[in-house]
Amino acid sequence: MRRRSQLKSKKLLAGPYLFWSVSFVVIPLLMVFYYGLTDESGAFTLDNLAKTTSPENLKALGMALLLSLISTVICLLLAYPLATILAEKNVNQSSFIVLIFILPMWMNFLLRTLAWQTLLEKTGVINNILTFLHLPSLNIINTPYAIVLGMVYNFLPFMVLPIYNVLVKIDPNVIFAARDLGANGFQTFIKVTFPLSLPGVISGITMVFVPALTTFVVSDLLGGGKILLIGNVIEQAFKQGSNWNVGSGLSMVLMIFIIASMAIIAKYDKDGEGTTF
Amino acid sequence: MIRKYAQRIYLALIFILLYAPIVTLIVLSFNKSKTRSKWGGATLKWYSALFQNEQIMNALYTTLLIALVSALIATLIGTAAAIGIQSMKRKMRTVFMGLTNIPMLNAEIVMGISLMLLFIACNMTLGFSTILIAHITFNIPYVILSVMPKLKQTKRATYEAALDLGASPMMAFFKVVFPDILPGVLSGFMLAFTMSLDDFVITHFTKGPGVDTLSTKIYSEVRKGIKPEMYALSTLLFVSVLILLLLINYTPKKTEDQPVPRVITKRSRVFNFVTRRVVPVLLVGVLVFGGFYYGSQGSLNSDNRVIVYNWGEYIDPEVITMFEEETGISVVYEEFETNEIMYPKIQSGAIAYDVVCPSDYMIQRMRENDLLAELNFDNIPNIKYIGDTYLKSSREFDPENKYSVPYCWGTVGILYNKTMVDEPIDSWGVLWDEKYKDNILMQDSVRDAFGVTLKYLGYSLNSTDLDELTAATNLLIEQKPLVQAYVIDQVRDKMIGNEAAIGIIYSGEAIYTQFENENLEYVIPKEGSNIWIDSWVIPKNAEHKENAEAFINFLCRPDIALKNFEYITYSTPNTAAREMIEDEEIRNSKIAFPDESELENCETFKFLGDDADRVYLDFWNKVKSK
Repeated sequence: MRRRSQLKSKKLLAGPYLFWSVSFVVIPLLMVFYYGLTDESGAFTLDNLAKTTSPENLKALGMALLLSLISTVICLLLAYPLATILAEKNVNQSSFIVLIFILPMWMNFLLRTLAWQTLLEKTGVINNILTFLHLPSLNIINTPYAIVLGMVYNFLPFMVLPIYNVLVKIDPNVIFAARDLGANGFQTFIKVTFPLSLPGVISGITMVFVPALTTFVVSDLLGGGKILLIGNVIEQAFKQGSNWNVGSGLSMVLMIFIIASMAIIAKYDKDGEGTTF
Repeated sequence: MIRKYAQRIYLALIFILLYAPIVTLIVLSFNKSKTRSKWGGATLKWYSALFQNEQIMNALYTTLLIALVSALIATLIGTAAAIGIQSMKRKMRTVFMGLTNIPMLNAEIVMGISLMLLFIACNMTLGFSTILIAHITFNIPYVILSVMPKLKQTKRATYEAALDLGASPMMAFFKVVFPDILPGVLSGFMLAFTMSLDDFVITHFTKGPGVDTLSTKIYSEVRKGIKPEMYALSTLLFVSVLILLLLINYTPKKTEDQPVPRVITKRSRVFNFVTRRVVPVLLVGVLVFGGFYYGSQGSLNSDNRVIVYNWGEYIDPEVITMFEEETGISVVYEEFETNEIMYPKIQSGAIAYDVVCPSDYMIQRMRENDLLAELNFDNIPNIKYIGDTYLKSSREFDPENKYSVPYCWGTVGILYNKTMVDEPIDSWGVLWDEKYKDNILMQDSVRDAFGVTLKYLGYSLNSTDLDELTAATNLLIEQKPLVQAYVIDQVRDKMIGNEAAIGIIYSGEAIYTQFENENLEYVIPKEGSNIWIDSWVIPKNAEHKENAEAFINFLCRPDIALKNFEYITYSTPNTAAREMIEDEEIRNSKIAFPDESELENCETFKFLGDDADRVYLDFWNKVKSK
């Protein structure tokens, strides 16, 4: 009896969190829906959603999808070997690894991204080095390439850490067993390591894809104002055009992608194994 | 062997990718030159200037305070929640974990917007508390997700054993469970702290005027060029965190695989002492001290103040200090980046600004929408130093000179690099010249971009004729492949750094760029251009109108106007101040003070009405998304 009542009182500990989440996560999201489905006078309308299909907005959405997909793939390709190397290193201070990736965050995100401008510009640091070495110069600033670079740079840690977290947890004996049973390195990877690391990979993919899809800062700072992503359109609707209804409508469309990611996470990463930290 | 080297090289490359920008920023913090595109020699002056820059120090303090408080509260709520969730049945647990995942996976922009809508619907003033709530909201999941795995590892049996041995549940928890999950709680706290520190997007939407974190401060500076003090601050922050984390990391760890009885060496004791006691005490000490310091500055004369809302980098900070010293009125200073961002803030009336500095057409709009108070010129006798021509031009938007006092004026023109352009430039036409492909910097604001194009076509820059606007739109779309970037004030840094051959720029910035790069030349094209005036106005809901008038009067004093001119290099309408300029070249500069004949074809912008504004915006979006 005592145990049961205790369990109940323990559950109550989640009460403040429930209250907080409902007030500041659920209700605000409902407000976005409300604004997205009404016009300025408060009457119901689907116009805001329909605005998403205007050629300009479709283009911004398409561009955002394309660039974020490319960056996610690059992040995955860069991060997996990296996580493998780090996991093999078997550094007993695993916090040190995390540290290397968390540390840059103490330099402000905007400044870090801005620094890429200084690095990438026509007369920037990288090109100066290239010219010094008599190599052809690199002209990617203000192009989609620079945006992809900025995305990869900013979101790479979110791919490395979940994969690393899953990889270190894999029991080495499983790998040994596969090898003993005659699988070569590649087969072991395809049949054993990779499937076991899938929760981390999936979690990493969503952790990179969603922020990349919705960013407006990276495109603002590295795209030279020539490339509009869906995030820029939404930001402008709220901050410059002050058209909250259209902005909310566009946000609702974005949420479809976010909800899809959440569903995938829930399917493949049930126990939250691949959570970043 | 090869594999090992390949691994090393790979790690090194990733390391370079991650740390190249950081090294860049650290190097920039020692750069003598104010612009990031030129190396002017090494200096430490920004480090000393940093501590005198009240705005940056205030932003730093706000950032740290929000990070600390939000991380603490999030740790409390999150740890409790994790324990609660852990004891739930599977179904409930899934629901709660789903709830936890929302802020983790939701786009920052959607979360920021949704919170902003909520706060505004609840009539909460956007400010410190709203940022704090938002930060706690996105921090809690990090704590929960750090604590949960540790909770799973704790063995129920030990807890029950403690209960059986007579411990109260409270005691059993703190003696048995808590030490086990402590690392998770701590790392959750650290994560939350870091996330809060690094957040920009959510703060951007939930912050109100008057409060800035480092991120939002930096964002508002992006357009004008980051102040070097900011690099210095980031370097200091980064280095101190690096040292702190290294200290913690190299603290000898009590690991299980240490079979020998642990000898607590003197060294490890010192380390422990430093990391466990000294550092937290120092942190708290700094926060409390900072709180008192900045708190006292604000609260002492909270009634006798004036809230100023001005363009970024548009006043000499010393002028503000002088004003405060002379009058005893404390100045609350806020900056905006564009007229369009400023307007909704004044209109909503959420903050009662006392004195604002909009441009001509925006003053007209504010006046027409009855947002401005009439000035009492008895309190502004120094208006007599303002040149008559400028008061006359002001009548375009303020017909009786009742609402505004001119502060700065200038033209919009072409800045070009003589080493990259060998022909004399006198027409907007060069902006469509294939020769300069990828070498043109265009203005990233609707009215300026259209103004230039309309003028080139021979129309008025206040045109609302749909055919004329369509023609301009098509021309802008045609120009897009030639444009290197659409920027606002970054033209300045980019032109100084020889990044582009041609840029559209405000005359005031042109003077500064010539100081830094002598190859630059400014011209007002023959088709005519925009001539603008930024003037001080007082919003109707101002609470300290007399202080505001004292402030305007102070700025009209010739010696102050001169000081300001030398700092911001925008043309002053203060004729007395102009006569006091010592450098003859600048006093007679054609850029700062062009002849009447050059201004013949120039027009001021007019407010065209909300509908026309929307038409402009739609056309502009067409250009930008092409």
